[in-house]
Amino acid sequence: MLAEPAALARPEADGAAPPVARGWRLPLVPLGIIALFLVVAIVAPLLGLPDPQEQSLRNRFKPPVWEEGGTWAHALGTDRLGRDLLSRIVWGSRISLAAGVLTVLLASAFGAAVGLTAGYYGGRVDAVLMRITDATMSFPVILLALILAVTVGPSFTNVVVAIAVILWARYARVIRGQVLTLMQLDFVAQARIAGAGAWRIITRHLLPNTLGTLLVLVTLQIGYVIIVEASLSFLGAGIPPPTPAWGSMIAEGRDFVTSAWWVSLFPGLAILVVVLAFNLLGDWLRDTFDPKLRQL
Amino acid sequence: MKRASATASVLLLILALMGFVLAGGVSAQPKTELTVALSSFSTEVLDPPLGGHLVKYYLSMIFDYLVGTTPDGQPSRDGGLATRWENSPDYKRWTFYLRKNVKFHNGDEVTSEDVKFSLQRNIGKRSTTGYAGPLRTLIQDIETPAPDRVVIVTKEPTLIIPTYLSRSLSTEGMVTPKKYIESVGDDVFARKPIGSGPYKFVEQVTGSHIKLAAVDNHWRIGTPKYKTMTFRLVPEEATRIALLRRGEVDVADVSRERVKELEKEGFPLHYRREEALLTMWWVLGPDGRTGPTKDKRVREALNLALDRAEIAQSIFAGRAEPAAIPLGLSWSFKEVGFKQTPDMLYPYDPARAKKLLADAGVGSGMSLDVYAYQLPGLPEGKTMAEAVAGYWEKIGIKTKLIPVDYPAFRKAWFDRSVPGAVGYFNIANRDWIGAYALLEKQAYTPSKPSDTVNDPEIDGMLSQVMRQTDKDKINTLIRGVYARLRSEHHGVPVVYLHSPYATSKTLGNWNPGSVMYDLFLDVLASGK
Amino acid sequence: MLRFIATRLVQSLVALAIVSVVVFVLARATGDPLYLILPMSASQEDFDNARRYLGLDRPYVEQYLSFVGRAVTGDFGISLRARRPVGELIRERLPNSLKLAAFAMGVSLAMAFPLGIMAAVRKGTGVDRAAQIVSVLGQSLPTFWVAIILVEFVAGRWQWLPAGGISGFSSYILPGFTLGWFVVAGLMRLLRSGMLEVLDSEYVKLARVKGVSERRVIWMHALRNALIPVVTFAGIYFAILVTTAIVVETVFAWPGLGRLAYEGISSRDFPVIQAVVLTTAAIVAVVNLGVDCLYAIIDPRIRYAR
Repeated sequence: MLAEPAALARPEADGAAPPVARGWRLPLVPLGIIALFLVVAIVAPLLGLPDPQEQSLRNRFKPPVWEEGGTWAHALGTDRLGRDLLSRIVWGSRISLAAGVLTVLLASAFGAAVGLTAGYYGGRVDAVLMRITDATMSFPVILLALILAVTVGPSFTNVVVAIAVILWARYARVIRGQVLTLMQLDFVAQARIAGAGAWRIITRHLLPNTLGTLLVLVTLQIGYVIIVEASLSFLGAGIPPPTPAWGSMIAEGRDFVTSAWWVSLFPGLAILVVVLAFNLLGDWLRDTFDPKLRQL
Repeated sequence: MKRASATASVLLLILALMGFVLAGGVSAQPKTELTVALSSFSTEVLDPPLGGHLVKYYLSMIFDYLVGTTPDGQPSRDGGLATRWENSPDYKRWTFYLRKNVKFHNGDEVTSEDVKFSLQRNIGKRSTTGYAGPLRTLIQDIETPAPDRVVIVTKEPTLIIPTYLSRSLSTEGMVTPKKYIESVGDDVFARKPIGSGPYKFVEQVTGSHIKLAAVDNHWRIGTPKYKTMTFRLVPEEATRIALLRRGEVDVADVSRERVKELEKEGFPLHYRREEALLTMWWVLGPDGRTGPTKDKRVREALNLALDRAEIAQSIFAGRAEPAAIPLGLSWSFKEVGFKQTPDMLYPYDPARAKKLLADAGVGSGMSLDVYAYQLPGLPEGKTMAEAVAGYWEKIGIKTKLIPVDYPAFRKAWFDRSVPGAVGYFNIANRDWIGAYALLEKQAYTPSKPSDTVNDPEIDGMLSQVMRQTDKDKINTLIRGVYARLRSEHHGVPVVYLHSPYATSKTLGNWNPGSVMYDLFLDVLASGK
Repeated sequence: MLRFIATRLVQSLVALAIVSVVVFVLARATGDPLYLILPMSASQEDFDNARRYLGLDRPYVEQYLSFVGRAVTGDFGISLRARRPVGELIRERLPNSLKLAAFAMGVSLAMAFPLGIMAAVRKGTGVDRAAQIVSVLGQSLPTFWVAIILVEFVAGRWQWLPAGGISGFSSYILPGFTLGWFVVAGLMRLLRSGMLEVLDSEYVKLARVKGVSERRVIWMHALRNALIPVVTFAGIYFAILVTTAIVVETVFAWPGLGRLAYEGISSRDFPVIQAVVLTTAAIVAVVNLGVDCLYAIIDPRIRYAR
């Protein structure tokens, strides 16, 4: 999401693991929320909810149970095709969370690999990889997703691929920056003298020291991906119907903000709570590992 | 001292608040400006031969047509440059008598030379209008025996010339200034168009708005009520409605689902009734129908599975009527004497649908790809496609929803790369000639690639129409086509759509008419 | 220093070149614009004619080279949909995007400053937590939803502000706020940690012992230190705002670059797609370059990093 200036984080000089938590105690509320949603997403099929894709035009736009006309059969109401909203939110958690996690894992794995390689080898390799990284970072994510949607049609895969294909560049740049600093420290030189090869140095010495940063980035970006998916749905390039995904549910309900407000509000709240939780968790992680990682 | 300064501060605060409230309050629309907010502009080019359909909204203000049209789609001698027209006995020569003393916005007089020039230009190679092709094949020559007379000579006898050059279809009949275009060239003309219509072009910002200014006294509408007319492109409906509420726009197209809300607030709603037919079809294979839909029973079953009344009530908020004839444009029914009888309406009968599928040996295990996309005038497109797919699932068909945008579907349709897949369009309703024009495109086998029917009997009937000059025979042929489209289930007609336009409370009377892609804003602005 | 700038400039150009190839390929992959330009009754001959007229029948390499060759001089070709030079369209729309981004940046800074300072000064307390949540909120809500709710209520129901289009200062407020809120969190974080760094440092402890007032400590020393990364990042965020405003532009009917790209993609308008992506990439590259130079001036070590 951000371009990286050349500024770097500064881990400890002896290559040891970063210091333990400064700042607040363990952020229980964000962790709890994330855990709750993950559990719900996993056990969704066992919850005995109505079919999220079963439509019934006669039942469209039924309000939540506490409003006039609401029933317990559809506790949070129904959407424009009469599908149960609660069920769609629960099942949608699988899709939205999966999209977020998958995209970020892909992007971070690839990006870290590129960053480590570029930082370690330097020279030509670094120059080429960094140019590709720069080019990637300057390509707008949403436009790429739109182009893909228009070319091969929108799908879950397209959304993940489109975002990951741009997102990795950010990881690459940050990790490379860290590696550059690490490379100037003694323990790397010592490892080299001891005869360690590139693979060993990268995996044994460099990677562990970047894991902290990676973890922070990953946590912060899951929320970002979920939000981008919502924007893509609004533009018609997101996860397509009838699959329930929070983003597309909000987009579908956006014309009824004042009439059938529940259709947009509840998935919106779901996104808000989950993304907020990930962001707060990420903030805490960053404060823990090194507040100097402020550029993240 | 302190009390005085305190009082002064409070007074100043109140004044500031008042100022803020007044400044930020609703800006009352001066009555001399008309602002129209539309969800789509089509191609946004201001040159008639390059226009898509939707450009008529604003182009028909800038340009005059050779043949005028009344708001309910009939050719009229009052609205166009031709005060009257007549045909030769063999229907191959059409003579148009032009109005005198009509001037272009730059002062040049409109003559038959301009009409000839415009027509040639509008149907030339560069043209992308809908009906340039058939006109090109039909027109042999254009004569200008006098400055106020144009004769169009056709290769074959035909009745269609006046209608095809009228306001009721597309932009082929728009008259553009020959001298001006020849001197400045096409590109400059497209940027600064000059016509002879009641409104002059002022400015255009693509993606934002088109602004027009009234001509002082125009033969079409006298001294117009609105000195300026501005068309604003506002894709998001919430914003269009907010603009209407704030009084920043006077007319906005709105979706059917929000009509109730606006009615409650007292905004007048004007409908273009049965503005379009929402009809679905199956993409053909390279040589015609393939797969399960080759069997007539399957096609009938797919029709019986839909509860059209429920679709009309729920998805279209009651602003729609169930339709019965595939590709049946109802505004043409009366003219050709086609009576849609109650038994032609498909009942909602999923049980019988299942039986038909079983009879055809299909049963469950049939799969169907349903394309889902929005269209201008059809924001409910994807929802409708989902709903229809849902009905088909209930009779045991496995459906797959393919959400794309319309251009992608159109390509697949024309390439015939997805035989059997389902697509749809909200086809603008029109009179018999327009309906024939549509049938010739979508129900006529030689009209590859847009054909969706591939039925030799229908081909036979349609090929005779263009050359027919006996109206009764034409009517019989077209009735035959409609009847067969229905009896052979050559598509899935869903509903006729009424299109709502919400206006400001002070707008007054307005008949948006029933002409394809036209709102008759000039009539609204008329000072007559 | 000059060498540094020159190197970075060359690097940016290489990146732009890569982007140009990628967008060229992608644009053509979106489909055939002729299906949209030509009417339904067009024959195969019409298609071939149009293809030749628009130069779409030449070999791809030739098309690419001609595209790049003209792009360098600012000629991006003719829009297939609007039949006008693409350069003109971009010139019409780019200032709108820039102005909106600038306004949004202003809003963002106006929110980030008080929040960041409060959070740093009252670190660890409820105020800190609250400030963090308010800023992060902007990143946790889908932009289009915020935009639509603002339009429905603030513009439509309460009628405090204009609903869409560009019509004077007040029409910038809603879209600017929607856009700006998204980046408040990042800026606020920078301010907060930058200030914390100083507030915890030996130098400040010494100053406090010496009796310097707390107010002076905060405003003169801590804030100054925090400003540098904020300023440099503001530049980057500005580039992001210009290039990702498509959702806000759609809801508020704002004729900017994002909407132009969307229209281009919908109509498979290759020249427009290519031009917008290149312009976007160029903006990002220019801003990155500026930021890097600024950083290099501040921290000489960076200049010599590989």
